[in-house]
Amino acid sequence: MRRYVWQLLQRAGQRLPRDFRVLHAQFLLRVIDLEALSIDADIPRFLGQFAGVLIMFSFLHAFAVYVAILEYPLRLEHYLISTMMLVAGLITVVSWDSIFPDRRDIMVLGPLPLRPATILAAKLCASASLLGVAILALNTAPGLVAPLLLGQLHASIFGFFQVLAAYWITMVAATLFLFCSVLTIQGVASLVLPYRFFLRLSAMLQLVCFGVFLTVYFFEPALGTLPELVAHQNQQVMAHSPQFWFLGLFNQINGSLPAQLSWLATRAWIALAAVIIGAGVSLLLSYMRVMKKIVEQPDLDPTRSSRRLIPRLGGSLQAAIATFCFRSITRSRQHRIALAFCWSIVFAIFVSMLRRVARNGPEKVSLDLIMPTIIMMSCAVLGLRGVFSLPVSLKANWMLRVTQLRPTTGYIAATRRTLQLFGVLPVLVASAGLAYHFRPLSHAYRHIGFLAIFGCILVEVGLFHFDKVPFTCSFVPGKTNIQVIFWGGAFVFMMLSLLFGMYELKALDRLSSYAILMGCSMAVVGGLWTFNRIRARTAVLYYDEVLPEIITRLGLTFLPPAPAAEAQKVEHV
Amino acid sequence: MLELRRVSKHFSGIAAVDDVSFCARPGEVTGYLGPNGSGKSTTIKMITALLEMTSGQILFDGKLIEDDIVSYKRRMGYVPEEPYLYNHLSGAEYLTMVADLRGLSSRIASGRIDGMLRLLSLYDDRHAGISGYSKGMRQKVLIAAALMHNPDLVLLDEPFSGLDVGSALVLRSLITELAARGKVVLFSSHELDTVERISNRVVILHRGKVVADDSIAHLRSLMELPTLEAIFSQLAVEQDSNTLARQLADLIYA
Repeated sequence: MRRYVWQLLQRAGQRLPRDFRVLHAQFLLRVIDLEALSIDADIPRFLGQFAGVLIMFSFLHAFAVYVAILEYPLRLEHYLISTMMLVAGLITVVSWDSIFPDRRDIMVLGPLPLRPATILAAKLCASASLLGVAILALNTAPGLVAPLLLGQLHASIFGFFQVLAAYWITMVAATLFLFCSVLTIQGVASLVLPYRFFLRLSAMLQLVCFGVFLTVYFFEPALGTLPELVAHQNQQVMAHSPQFWFLGLFNQINGSLPAQLSWLATRAWIALAAVIIGAGVSLLLSYMRVMKKIVEQPDLDPTRSSRRLIPRLGGSLQAAIATFCFRSITRSRQHRIALAFCWSIVFAIFVSMLRRVARNGPEKVSLDLIMPTIIMMSCAVLGLRGVFSLPVSLKANWMLRVTQLRPTTGYIAATRRTLQLFGVLPVLVASAGLAYHFRPLSHAYRHIGFLAIFGCILVEVGLFHFDKVPFTCSFVPGKTNIQVIFWGGAFVFMMLSLLFGMYELKALDRLSSYAILMGCSMAVVGGLWTFNRIRARTAVLYYDEVLPEIITRLGLTFLPPAPAAEAQKVEHV
Repeated sequence: MLELRRVSKHFSGIAAVDDVSFCARPGEVTGYLGPNGSGKSTTIKMITALLEMTSGQILFDGKLIEDDIVSYKRRMGYVPEEPYLYNHLSGAEYLTMVADLRGLSSRIASGRIDGMLRLLSLYDDRHAGISGYSKGMRQKVLIAAALMHNPDLVLLDEPFSGLDVGSALVLRSLITELAARGKVVLFSSHELDTVERISNRVVILHRGKVVADDSIAHLRSLMELPTLEAIFSQLAVEQDSNTLARQLADLIYA
């Protein structure tokens, strides 16, 4: 089936100009520029796997729709729209740089007889293709189930088609709104700012958008009934939330929007028109400008200062590893995005706690302090440890191998210090600030003391069998079955931390119990530390080799079809 | 002294380096020559311990390098063939990192890094990202990283690659100067003229085997050829270059 669809698409695509097709295939492959997601440069396979994950969610959504849409129609509709916008937002963030050409594009494509408009169109179509796959895949099941169920309410056959049209128009419009919003932001920034600042700001904007999308999704109030939606106190939230605008749009198209909420749909239409025009104009204006600047402006930026941002803690090896990690995380877009996924959870929890602190007076120490801080610590440390496994320029590893003058224990210790410095310490400082709001203070800070030990335990667990320098080994997708480990681990962890949080809460009341808790925790840290150290004495640092280059086949019509054996050979040259 | 004894390296049963033996002595510049794919870089990677030998021994100052690899690495400086660097760091940051990994004290490291960056004309761009460096600038960073700890053994794999004329002249003199100060210098290059000017002796490799290992003057008289280029052509070039060029031109016009 997949092969048939692909052949159909290929046949349709062959009617397009060849230069456009070649560029589109190239850019589609590079839309998501994450090594971790790359699967042998096979476009159909990549899109198939990407769609497969979303289709899985699609069936889960369909089940939720089947169970609850007639009872809570607005809440479910809002949920489906929010999820579509989150997925579209995440794809837009991950493919942040795919619209604008980079230096490589200019140097490779510049000398070729190609019109800039063709390049722009190919880039836009590549991003749109991915978003199109996402819309189709995520809404495969709910896109039919929801109209079938909601259509019954209209008591006519046209009701189904009306809801069906409303559903798909809303999903496409919501995706388009997010995509064009991001393009407008990028386009305006590139027009207003000098190119050098644009590049720096663009990286920060990407992270901000990532955090905003996740925070809004997880922390937006769920207003699921008509009285809640028309309540005066909720109007401000709805006025600033595009999810609610598109909820209004959906209900307007299917003919069930109450008059009091018609302003939401109006707002959706205006916003959609504004961002489409904004994206179109700013992109066209900025495209030519950026293309020229990439060629004209040197990449060299000799004005930056050499201030040491990280205090030099420990010996020279620890300083070298810590600084290398800090710079890799802050400067590598791929690593920033991967880390941002975990840290945006930390950030979102922190912001919600901060909001609570600002609204309420001092509160009694409860699970409301213990659980969020434990989750923050876990996400920060384990997220950082996970990012350490993503490589930065494997070919440059030779330098670390040539300069490996200290025993492996030194390198493991340096990695430990780095995890403590950038994973444990920030969460500890943030939690200590939040703990000031809870009473009695002694209990709150006892928890912070335990949190520090808990952070150290996580660090030691993260160092199990990690005989590597961070960022020097490749992560092979599929090898670790990350989905199962992640979701399974998250579930088990949540259950365990809830039980443990309840135990800790009891222990905080009695000094003797608290002393036992701390003693046991410190013994665990000591035991793990000793285990890791003994193992490190005999361990050999592992560096990954670069895998052979993979040649991408563009599927051009003039290429003769390669026999299977020969194709295999070509792809692994 | 660096000594290779019957060193071989096989990749999937194919010999990339086959039974290679030679010595590079302190105070001498040893040129390591060979056509593309002859095994020069593979040999140098084995000397740096980046690659494991299939068989043979490598000794430095009479000791097997694997006996105390850390002490050996402390005394070795290496400029690789390809300028692979961490592109997200600046030139100064990269050198600081290398100095930290080599355990140089901050004071000594900063003095040497600053001095090297100035002398190699990289000082103004020291805080710019390496991703923006030209090939020549990257090469200079590699040279600085290889020499900043004052190594006894200097391994240079195509060190002139990408350097402008002025920098190449400086490097040429630097190689001679380092050898004059008693260091073991082994360098591989395709620039036969440069090799002829600065090398005391040459080792020529062809298809993984040593086909010549002698001083240039002795090779000239032995083979009755006027230049190193002529010696190299006779020993290591299988096809007549003029014929090959003519065939290529014919192909374009066909």
